Amino acid sequence: MSLVNFTTREITCKIVYYGPGRSGKTTNLQYVYSQVPDDRKGRMVSLATQTDRTLFFDFLPLDLGSISGFTTKFQLYTVPGQVYYNATRKLVLQGADGVVFVADSQARQLDENVESLQNLQANILEHGVDVRTLPMVLQWNKQDLPRDLILSPVEMDDALNFRSLPAFPADALHGAGVFETLKAISAEVLRRLSQTAGGGRG
Amino acid sequence: MTTTVVELWTEEPLVRYVGQASARLVVVMTPAGQVLAQHGFAKAVDLMGVAAIGAAIMASSGALATLVGEAAFGALFHAGLRHGIHLASCRTGRGPLIVLTVFGRETSIGLVEFFFDEFAAALHAAAPAERSRGPVLAENFEAELGHSLATLFGR
Amino acid sequence: MSEALERSLDRLSRVRGVRGSMFVAAEDGLVVAQLLMEGVNGKAVAALAAALARKVGGAAAATGAGRLSFVQMDASNGTLLLAPAPADLLIVALADPNVNVGLCRFEMIRAAEAQK
Repeated sequence: MSLVNFTTREITCKIVYYGPGRSGKTTNLQYVYSQVPDDRKGRMVSLATQTDRTLFFDFLPLDLGSISGFTTKFQLYTVPGQVYYNATRKLVLQGADGVVFVADSQARQLDENVESLQNLQANILEHGVDVRTLPMVLQWNKQDLPRDLILSPVEMDDALNFRSLPAFPADALHGAGVFETLKAISAEVLRRLSQTAGGGRG
Repeated sequence: MTTTVVELWTEEPLVRYVGQASARLVVVMTPAGQVLAQHGFAKAVDLMGVAAIGAAIMASSGALATLVGEAAFGALFHAGLRHGIHLASCRTGRGPLIVLTVFGRETSIGLVEFFFDEFAAALHAAAPAERSRGPVLAENFEAELGHSLATLFGR
Repeated sequence: MSEALERSLDRLSRVRGVRGSMFVAAEDGLVVAQLLMEGVNGKAVAALAAALARKVGGAAAATGAGRLSFVQMDASNGTLLLAPAPADLLIVALADPNVNVGLCRFEMIRAAEAQK
Protein backbone atom coordinates (compact mmCIF):
# COMPACT_ATOMS: atom_id res chain seq x y z
CA MET A 1 0.00 0.00 0.00
CA SER A 2 1.31 3.47 -0.88
CA LEU A 3 2.72 5.53 1.93
CA VAL A 4 1.63 9.15 1.66
CA ASN A 5 2.98 11.64 4.15
CA PHE A 6 1.13 14.93 3.74
CA THR A 7 3.31 16.63 6.32
CA THR A 8 6.61 15.91 4.61
CA ARG A 9 4.89 15.67 1.20
CA GLU A 10 6.36 12.31 0.33
CA ILE A 11 4.87 9.39 -1.53
CA THR A 12 6.32 5.89 -1.59
CA CYS A 13 4.87 3.20 -3.83
CA LYS A 14 5.66 -0.45 -4.38
CA ILE A 15 5.80 -1.94 -7.87
CA VAL A 16 6.22 -5.67 -8.32
CA TYR A 17 7.56 -7.28 -11.49
CA TYR A 18 5.83 -10.62 -11.87
CA GLY A 19 6.00 -13.41 -14.43
CA PRO A 20 7.21 -16.94 -15.12
CA GLY A 21 10.78 -18.00 -14.49
CA ARG A 22 13.41 -16.49 -16.79
CA SER A 23 10.99 -14.08 -18.42
CA GLY A 24 13.22 -11.07 -17.76
CA LYS A 25 11.97 -9.54 -14.51
CA THR A 26 15.41 -9.20 -12.97
CA THR A 27 16.80 -8.03 -16.30
CA ASN A 28 14.29 -5.17 -16.29
CA LEU A 29 15.50 -3.99 -12.90
CA GLN A 30 19.14 -4.43 -13.79
CA TYR A 31 18.66 -2.29 -16.87
CA VAL A 32 16.83 0.42 -14.91
CA TYR A 33 19.57 0.36 -12.31
CA SER A 34 22.27 0.73 -14.95
CA GLN A 35 20.61 3.74 -16.53
CA VAL A 36 19.33 5.77 -13.59
CA PRO A 37 21.74 8.39 -12.15
CA ASP A 38 23.23 7.63 -8.74
CA ASP A 39 21.36 10.44 -7.03
CA ARG A 40 18.05 8.95 -8.13
CA LYS A 41 18.52 5.39 -7.02
CA GLY A 42 19.42 3.39 -3.95
CA ARG A 43 21.39 0.20 -3.72
CA MET A 44 19.94 -2.71 -5.66
CA VAL A 45 19.56 -5.80 -3.52
CA SER A 46 19.32 -9.16 -5.24
CA LEU A 47 18.58 -12.29 -3.22
CA ALA A 48 19.46 -14.95 -5.74
CA THR A 49 20.68 -18.51 -5.93
CA GLN A 50 24.19 -19.46 -6.94
CA THR A 51 22.89 -19.87 -10.49
CA ASP A 52 21.51 -16.33 -10.47
CA ARG A 53 17.87 -17.33 -10.30
CA THR A 54 15.90 -14.97 -8.07
CA LEU A 55 15.44 -16.72 -4.72
CA PHE A 56 13.35 -14.20 -2.83
CA PHE A 57 13.34 -10.85 -4.55
CA ASP A 58 15.33 -8.12 -6.23
CA PHE A 59 14.79 -4.69 -4.80
CA LEU A 60 15.56 -1.29 -6.29
CA PRO A 61 14.54 2.00 -4.68
CA LEU A 62 14.08 4.91 -7.09
CA ASP A 63 13.59 8.61 -6.50
CA LEU A 64 11.39 10.06 -9.21
CA GLY A 65 11.76 13.58 -7.93
CA SER A 66 8.88 15.97 -7.39
CA ILE A 67 5.50 15.13 -8.92
CA SER A 68 2.62 17.50 -8.15
CA GLY A 69 4.59 18.86 -5.25
CA PHE A 70 5.22 15.46 -3.69
CA THR A 71 8.64 13.81 -3.47
CA THR A 72 7.88 10.52 -5.14
CA LYS A 73 9.79 7.33 -4.45
CA PHE A 74 9.19 3.99 -6.02
CA GLN A 75 10.31 0.65 -4.68
CA LEU A 76 10.69 -1.86 -7.47
CA TYR A 77 10.61 -5.55 -6.62
CA THR A 78 10.82 -8.71 -8.65
CA VAL A 79 9.56 -12.10 -7.54
CA PRO A 80 11.05 -15.55 -8.18
CA GLY A 81 9.29 -17.05 -11.16
CA GLN A 82 9.62 -20.77 -10.47
CA VAL A 83 6.47 -22.54 -9.31
CA TYR A 84 8.44 -23.93 -6.36
CA TYR A 85 8.78 -20.47 -4.80
CA ASN A 86 5.09 -19.58 -4.65
CA ALA A 87 5.16 -19.14 -0.87
CA THR A 88 7.81 -16.43 -1.06
CA ARG A 89 6.24 -14.93 -4.17
CA LYS A 90 3.08 -14.31 -2.17
CA LEU A 91 5.06 -12.49 0.52
CA VAL A 92 6.69 -10.12 -1.96
CA LEU A 93 3.35 -9.36 -3.61
CA GLN A 94 1.86 -8.16 -0.35
CA GLY A 95 1.20 -4.43 -0.34
CA ALA A 96 1.94 -3.95 -4.04
CA ASP A 97 0.56 -0.73 -5.52
CA GLY A 98 1.13 -1.84 -9.09
CA VAL A 99 2.25 -4.89 -11.02
CA VAL A 100 4.25 -5.28 -14.20
CA PHE A 101 3.61 -8.69 -15.71
CA VAL A 102 6.68 -9.65 -17.71
CA ALA A 103 5.80 -12.34 -20.21
CA ASP A 104 8.25 -14.41 -22.20
CA SER A 105 7.34 -13.97 -25.87
CA GLN A 106 8.75 -17.34 -26.89
CA ALA A 107 5.96 -19.50 -28.30
CA ARG A 108 7.04 -22.49 -26.21
CA GLN A 109 6.61 -20.43 -23.01
CA LEU A 110 2.95 -19.60 -23.59
CA ASP A 111 1.67 -22.13 -21.09
CA GLU A 112 4.08 -20.82 -18.46
CA ASN A 113 2.86 -17.27 -19.12
CA VAL A 114 -0.77 -18.31 -18.71
CA GLU A 115 -0.01 -20.26 -15.55
CA SER A 116 1.93 -17.36 -14.07
CA LEU A 117 -0.86 -14.91 -14.85
CA GLN A 118 -3.39 -17.19 -13.18
CA ASN A 119 -1.03 -17.56 -10.23
CA LEU A 120 -0.75 -13.77 -9.98
CA GLN A 121 -4.50 -13.39 -9.87
CA ALA A 122 -4.85 -16.13 -7.26
CA ASN A 123 -2.17 -14.61 -5.04
CA ILE A 124 -3.67 -11.13 -5.32
CA LEU A 125 -7.03 -12.56 -4.36
CA GLU A 126 -5.48 -14.21 -1.32
CA HIS A 127 -4.34 -10.79 -0.17
CA GLY A 128 -7.94 -9.62 -0.37
CA VAL A 129 -7.35 -7.29 -3.33
CA ASP A 130 -9.64 -7.03 -6.36
CA VAL A 131 -7.32 -7.67 -9.29
CA ARG A 132 -9.43 -5.37 -11.47
CA THR A 133 -8.58 -2.40 -9.25
CA LEU A 134 -4.84 -3.03 -9.06
CA PRO A 135 -2.83 -0.98 -11.60
CA MET A 136 -1.14 -3.37 -14.00
CA VAL A 137 0.73 -3.25 -17.27
CA LEU A 138 2.01 -6.08 -19.42
CA GLN A 139 5.37 -6.45 -21.04
CA TRP A 140 6.01 -8.78 -23.96
CA ASN A 141 9.70 -9.38 -23.42
CA LYS A 142 12.24 -11.08 -25.70
CA GLN A 143 10.80 -9.50 -28.83
CA ASP A 144 14.36 -9.40 -30.13
CA LEU A 145 14.43 -13.18 -30.65
CA PRO A 146 13.99 -14.70 -34.14
CA ARG A 147 10.46 -14.27 -35.48
CA ASP A 148 9.83 -17.96 -35.86
CA LEU A 149 10.44 -18.55 -32.13
CA ILE A 150 8.22 -15.85 -30.69
CA LEU A 151 4.66 -14.61 -30.73
CA SER A 152 4.18 -11.09 -32.03
CA PRO A 153 2.80 -8.39 -29.72
CA VAL A 154 -0.62 -8.83 -31.38
CA GLU A 155 -0.52 -12.56 -30.77
CA MET A 156 0.61 -12.02 -27.17
CA ASP A 157 -2.30 -9.59 -26.69
CA ASP A 158 -4.73 -12.15 -28.03
CA ALA A 159 -3.37 -14.86 -25.78
CA LEU A 160 -2.90 -12.99 -22.52
CA ASN A 161 -4.39 -9.50 -22.49
CA PHE A 162 -8.00 -10.26 -21.47
CA ARG A 163 -8.49 -6.93 -19.82
CA SER A 164 -7.00 -4.71 -22.54
CA LEU A 165 -4.29 -3.45 -20.25
CA PRO A 166 -1.45 -1.29 -21.53
CA ALA A 167 1.09 -3.65 -23.08
CA PHE A 168 4.61 -2.98 -24.26
CA PRO A 169 6.91 -5.01 -26.47
CA ALA A 170 10.39 -5.18 -25.01
CA ASP A 171 13.90 -6.47 -25.22
CA ALA A 172 14.91 -6.01 -21.59
CA LEU A 173 18.45 -7.24 -22.14
CA HIS A 174 19.15 -4.25 -24.37
CA GLY A 175 16.71 -1.91 -22.72
CA ALA A 176 14.04 -1.60 -25.38
CA GLY A 177 10.65 -1.08 -23.78
CA VAL A 178 11.95 -1.12 -20.21
CA PHE A 179 11.47 2.55 -19.40
CA GLU A 180 8.26 2.74 -21.39
CA THR A 181 6.88 -0.03 -19.18
CA LEU A 182 8.11 1.61 -16.01
CA LYS A 183 6.68 5.01 -16.98
CA ALA A 184 3.33 3.44 -17.77
CA ILE A 185 3.00 1.61 -14.47
CA SER A 186 4.20 4.67 -12.54
CA ALA A 187 1.57 6.81 -14.22
CA GLU A 188 -1.14 4.22 -13.51
CA VAL A 189 -0.17 3.96 -9.87
CA LEU A 190 -0.01 7.70 -9.32
CA ARG A 191 -3.29 8.22 -11.16
CA ARG A 192 -4.96 5.66 -8.94
CA LEU A 193 -3.40 7.23 -5.88
CA SER A 194 -4.69 10.67 -6.78
CA GLN A 195 -8.17 9.24 -7.41
CA THR A 196 -8.16 7.50 -4.05
CA ALA A 197 -6.75 10.50 -2.20
CA GLY A 198 -9.13 12.86 -3.97
CA GLY A 199 -12.08 10.61 -3.13
CA GLY A 200 -10.93 10.30 0.44
CA ARG A 201 -10.34 13.93 1.07
CA GLY A 202 -13.12 15.36 -1.10
CA MET B 1 6.81 -38.99 12.13
CA THR B 2 9.00 -40.05 9.25
CA THR B 3 12.50 -39.21 8.20
CA THR B 4 13.17 -39.34 4.48
CA VAL B 5 16.29 -38.36 2.59
CA VAL B 6 17.29 -37.67 -0.97
CA GLU B 7 20.99 -38.14 -0.25
CA LEU B 8 21.75 -41.17 1.91
CA TRP B 9 24.71 -39.69 3.74
CA THR B 10 22.39 -37.29 5.55
CA GLU B 11 20.22 -39.99 7.09
CA GLU B 12 22.21 -41.14 10.08
CA PRO B 13 23.22 -37.68 11.29
CA LEU B 14 19.63 -36.49 10.84
CA VAL B 15 18.06 -39.35 12.75
CA ARG B 16 20.51 -38.82 15.62
CA TYR B 17 19.92 -35.06 15.65
CA VAL B 18 16.13 -35.44 15.71
CA GLY B 19 16.37 -37.79 18.68
CA GLN B 20 18.87 -35.72 20.66
CA ALA B 21 17.26 -32.35 20.07
CA SER B 22 13.67 -33.68 20.27
CA ALA B 23 12.94 -31.80 17.06
CA ARG B 24 9.45 -31.97 15.61
CA LEU B 25 10.30 -30.91 12.06
CA VAL B 26 13.68 -30.69 10.36
CA VAL B 27 14.56 -29.68 6.81
CA VAL B 28 18.06 -29.97 5.38
CA MET B 29 18.34 -27.97 2.17
CA THR B 30 20.61 -26.14 -0.18
CA PRO B 31 20.70 -22.33 -0.08
CA ALA B 32 18.33 -22.37 -3.07
CA GLY B 33 15.72 -24.22 -1.02
CA GLN B 34 16.17 -27.62 -2.64
CA VAL B 35 15.47 -30.23 0.04
CA LEU B 36 18.04 -32.96 0.71
CA ALA B 37 16.44 -34.53 3.77
CA GLN B 38 13.47 -33.97 6.04
CA HIS B 39 11.82 -35.19 9.20
CA GLY B 40 8.21 -34.80 10.20
CA PHE B 41 6.51 -33.56 7.04
CA ALA B 42 3.61 -35.49 5.57
CA LYS B 43 2.85 -33.32 2.55
CA ALA B 44 5.15 -32.17 -0.21
CA VAL B 45 3.41 -28.80 -0.56
CA ASP B 46 4.01 -28.00 3.11
CA LEU B 47 7.67 -28.93 2.81
CA MET B 48 8.04 -26.87 -0.37
CA GLY B 49 6.65 -23.75 1.25
CA VAL B 50 8.77 -24.13 4.36
CA ALA B 51 11.93 -24.77 2.34
CA ALA B 52 11.34 -21.78 0.05
CA ILE B 53 10.64 -19.44 2.96
CA GLY B 54 13.51 -20.81 5.05
CA ALA B 55 15.96 -20.27 2.20
CA ALA B 56 14.55 -16.78 1.64
CA ILE B 57 14.97 -15.88 5.32
CA MET B 58 18.61 -16.98 5.25
CA ALA B 59 19.21 -15.00 2.06
CA SER B 60 17.59 -11.92 3.58
CA SER B 61 19.64 -12.27 6.75
CA GLY B 62 22.79 -12.59 4.67
CA ALA B 63 21.92 -9.39 2.81
CA LEU B 64 21.22 -7.64 6.13
CA ALA B 65 24.55 -8.85 7.49
CA THR B 66 26.32 -7.37 4.47
CA LEU B 67 24.54 -4.05 4.92
CA VAL B 68 25.61 -3.75 8.56
CA GLY B 69 29.16 -4.90 7.85
CA GLU B 70 28.98 -8.42 9.24
CA ALA B 71 30.48 -11.39 7.42
CA ALA B 72 27.39 -13.54 7.99
CA PHE B 73 24.96 -14.38 10.74
CA GLY B 74 25.45 -17.85 12.16
CA ALA B 75 21.97 -18.78 13.22
CA LEU B 76 18.49 -17.38 13.69
CA PHE B 77 16.06 -18.25 16.39
CA HIS B 78 12.37 -17.41 16.42
CA ALA B 79 10.50 -17.98 19.66
CA GLY B 80 6.81 -18.77 19.42
CA LEU B 81 4.22 -19.61 22.05
CA ARG B 82 4.16 -23.31 21.28
CA HIS B 83 7.10 -23.76 18.92
CA GLY B 84 10.52 -22.36 18.29
CA ILE B 85 12.29 -22.23 14.94
CA HIS B 86 16.05 -22.52 14.61
CA LEU B 87 17.59 -21.73 11.24
CA ALA B 88 21.29 -22.09 10.63
CA SER B 89 23.78 -22.83 7.90
CA CYS B 90 26.64 -25.29 7.91
CA ARG B 91 29.51 -26.07 5.62
CA THR B 92 29.97 -29.50 4.08
CA GLY B 93 31.98 -31.02 1.29
CA ARG B 94 28.75 -31.01 -0.65
CA GLY B 95 28.61 -27.23 -0.32
CA PRO B 96 26.81 -24.96 2.17
CA LEU B 97 23.57 -26.32 3.59
CA ILE B 98 20.73 -24.79 5.60
CA VAL B 99 19.01 -26.62 8.43
CA LEU B 100 15.61 -25.52 9.66
CA THR B 101 14.46 -27.04 12.95
CA VAL B 102 11.03 -26.66 14.53
CA PHE B 103 10.82 -27.71 18.16
CA GLY B 104 8.30 -27.66 20.96
CA ARG B 105 8.33 -27.03 24.66
CA GLU B 106 9.68 -30.50 25.45
CA THR B 107 13.14 -29.21 24.51
CA SER B 108 14.83 -25.81 24.44
CA ILE B 109 16.78 -23.56 22.10
CA GLY B 110 19.87 -24.25 24.18
CA LEU B 111 19.60 -27.98 23.53
CA VAL B 112 18.76 -27.48 19.85
CA GLU B 113 21.77 -25.20 19.41
CA PHE B 114 24.04 -27.59 21.26
CA PHE B 115 23.00 -30.62 19.25
CA PHE B 116 22.93 -28.62 16.02
CA ASP B 117 26.66 -28.06 16.42
CA GLU B 118 27.14 -31.82 16.63
CA PHE B 119 24.80 -32.36 13.68
CA ALA B 120 26.70 -29.86 11.55
CA ALA B 121 29.95 -31.60 12.36
CA ALA B 122 28.43 -34.99 11.52
CA LEU B 123 27.11 -33.71 8.18
CA HIS B 124 30.52 -32.26 7.40
CA ALA B 125 32.16 -35.59 8.18
CA ALA B 126 29.64 -37.67 6.25
CA ALA B 127 29.29 -35.53 3.13
CA PRO B 128 30.94 -36.76 -0.02
CA ALA B 129 33.26 -34.34 -1.74
CA GLU B 130 31.31 -31.92 -3.88
CA ARG B 131 30.89 -33.59 -7.22
CA SER B 132 31.98 -31.41 -10.04
CA ARG B 133 28.75 -30.25 -11.59
CA GLY B 134 28.48 -28.33 -14.77
CA PRO B 135 26.52 -25.10 -14.59
CA VAL B 136 22.85 -25.78 -13.88
CA LEU B 137 21.04 -25.04 -17.10
CA ALA B 138 18.23 -22.57 -16.80
CA GLU B 139 15.68 -24.99 -18.18
CA ASN B 140 16.73 -27.65 -15.64
CA PHE B 141 16.69 -25.39 -12.58
CA GLU B 142 13.02 -25.77 -11.83
CA ALA B 143 13.11 -29.51 -12.48
CA GLU B 144 15.97 -29.85 -10.01
CA LEU B 145 14.00 -28.01 -7.34
CA GLY B 146 11.05 -30.34 -7.73
CA HIS B 147 13.03 -33.56 -8.12
CA SER B 148 13.94 -33.87 -4.46
CA LEU B 149 10.31 -33.48 -3.37
CA ALA B 150 9.32 -36.28 -5.71
CA THR B 151 12.04 -38.49 -4.23
CA LEU B 152 11.10 -37.70 -0.63
CA PHE B 153 7.44 -38.44 -1.13
CA GLY B 154 7.90 -41.52 -3.24
CA ARG B 155 6.49 -40.19 -6.51
CA MET C 1 27.77 -9.28 32.32
CA SER C 2 25.87 -7.21 34.90
CA GLU C 3 27.79 -6.36 38.06
CA ALA C 4 25.43 -8.20 40.37
CA LEU C 5 25.63 -11.40 38.36
CA GLU C 6 29.39 -11.06 38.04
CA ARG C 7 29.88 -10.62 41.78
CA SER C 8 27.73 -13.64 42.54
CA LEU C 9 29.58 -15.87 40.12
CA ASP C 10 32.92 -14.60 41.36
CA ARG C 11 32.12 -15.61 44.95
CA LEU C 12 30.94 -19.03 43.82
CA SER C 13 34.00 -19.56 41.64
CA ARG C 14 36.30 -18.91 44.62
CA VAL C 15 35.10 -22.10 46.32
CA ARG C 16 37.96 -24.55 45.90
CA GLY C 17 37.18 -27.16 43.28
CA VAL C 18 34.64 -25.13 41.30
CA ARG C 19 35.59 -25.18 37.64
CA GLY C 20 32.81 -23.11 36.31
CA SER C 21 29.70 -21.26 37.35
CA MET C 22 26.90 -19.72 35.38
CA PHE C 23 23.44 -18.26 35.35
CA VAL C 24 21.26 -20.01 32.82
CA ALA C 25 17.85 -19.11 31.41
CA ALA C 26 15.79 -22.05 32.64
CA GLU C 27 13.32 -21.98 29.76
CA ASP C 28 15.81 -21.61 26.92
CA GLY C 29 18.89 -23.33 28.28
CA LEU C 30 20.99 -20.36 27.20
CA VAL C 31 23.84 -18.83 29.14
CA VAL C 32 22.98 -15.52 30.80
CA ALA C 33 26.32 -15.03 32.55
CA GLN C 34 29.26 -17.33 33.07
CA LEU C 35 32.68 -17.65 34.65
CA LEU C 36 34.43 -20.74 33.34
CA MET C 37 37.84 -22.30 33.45
CA GLU C 38 39.56 -23.32 30.25
CA GLY C 39 38.08 -26.43 28.67
CA VAL C 40 34.57 -26.12 30.09
CA ASN C 41 31.91 -26.07 27.36
CA GLY C 42 29.54 -23.46 28.75
CA LYS C 43 26.98 -23.78 26.00
CA ALA C 44 26.66 -27.53 26.52
CA VAL C 45 26.53 -27.27 30.31
CA ALA C 46 23.85 -24.58 30.14
CA ALA C 47 21.64 -26.48 27.73
CA LEU C 48 21.95 -29.82 29.50
CA ALA C 49 21.67 -28.36 33.00
CA ALA C 50 18.42 -26.63 32.06
CA ALA C 51 17.10 -29.85 30.56
CA LEU C 52 18.09 -31.73 33.71
CA ALA C 53 16.42 -29.14 35.93
CA ARG C 54 13.24 -29.42 33.94
CA LYS C 55 13.19 -33.22 34.16
CA VAL C 56 14.04 -33.34 37.85
CA GLY C 57 11.62 -30.54 38.61
CA GLY C 58 8.92 -32.47 36.78
CA ALA C 59 9.73 -35.59 38.78
CA ALA C 60 9.66 -33.66 42.05
CA ALA C 61 6.27 -32.19 41.20
CA ALA C 62 4.86 -35.50 40.01
CA THR C 63 5.98 -37.36 43.13
CA GLY C 64 4.56 -34.71 45.43
CA ALA C 65 8.00 -33.68 46.61
CA GLY C 66 7.20 -30.08 45.79
CA ARG C 67 9.24 -27.44 44.05
CA LEU C 68 12.82 -28.12 43.10
CA SER C 69 15.33 -26.44 45.41
CA PHE C 70 18.69 -28.04 44.66
CA VAL C 71 20.16 -30.72 42.42
CA GLN C 72 23.45 -32.49 42.94
CA MET C 73 24.69 -34.84 40.21
CA ASP C 74 27.85 -36.79 41.08
CA ALA C 75 29.94 -38.42 38.35
CA SER C 76 33.36 -40.01 38.26
CA ASN C 77 35.14 -36.89 37.03
CA GLY C 78 33.03 -34.13 38.44
CA THR C 79 29.95 -32.81 40.12
CA LEU C 80 27.14 -30.72 38.68
CA LEU C 81 25.15 -28.56 41.06
CA LEU C 82 22.16 -26.46 40.18
CA ALA C 83 19.55 -24.41 41.97
CA PRO C 84 16.69 -22.19 40.82
CA ALA C 85 17.14 -18.45 40.95
CA PRO C 86 14.69 -15.56 40.48
CA ALA C 87 13.56 -14.33 37.07
CA ASP C 88 13.34 -17.87 35.72
CA LEU C 89 17.08 -18.42 36.02
CA LEU C 90 19.15 -21.32 37.25
CA ILE C 91 22.46 -21.06 38.98
CA VAL C 92 24.79 -23.84 37.92
CA ALA C 93 28.19 -24.91 39.21
CA LEU C 94 30.51 -27.48 37.68
CA ALA C 95 33.08 -28.78 40.15
CA ASP C 96 35.67 -31.43 41.02
CA PRO C 97 34.35 -34.62 42.62
CA ASN C 98 35.74 -33.66 46.04
CA VAL C 99 34.31 -30.15 46.16
CA ASN C 100 32.75 -28.93 49.38
CA VAL C 101 29.13 -29.27 48.30
CA GLY C 102 27.81 -27.57 51.43
CA LEU C 103 29.87 -24.45 50.80
CA CYS C 104 28.91 -24.44 47.14
CA ARG C 105 25.27 -24.74 48.00
CA PHE C 106 25.59 -21.86 50.45
CA GLU C 107 27.17 -19.63 47.84
CA MET C 108 24.62 -20.68 45.24
CA ILE C 109 21.70 -19.85 47.47
CA ARG C 110 23.37 -16.57 48.31
CA ALA C 111 23.89 -15.86 44.63
CA ALA C 112 20.24 -16.60 43.94
CA GLU C 113 19.13 -14.36 46.82
CA ALA C 114 21.27 -11.54 45.49
CA GLN C 115 19.21 -11.47 42.28
CA LYS C 116 15.95 -10.70 44.07
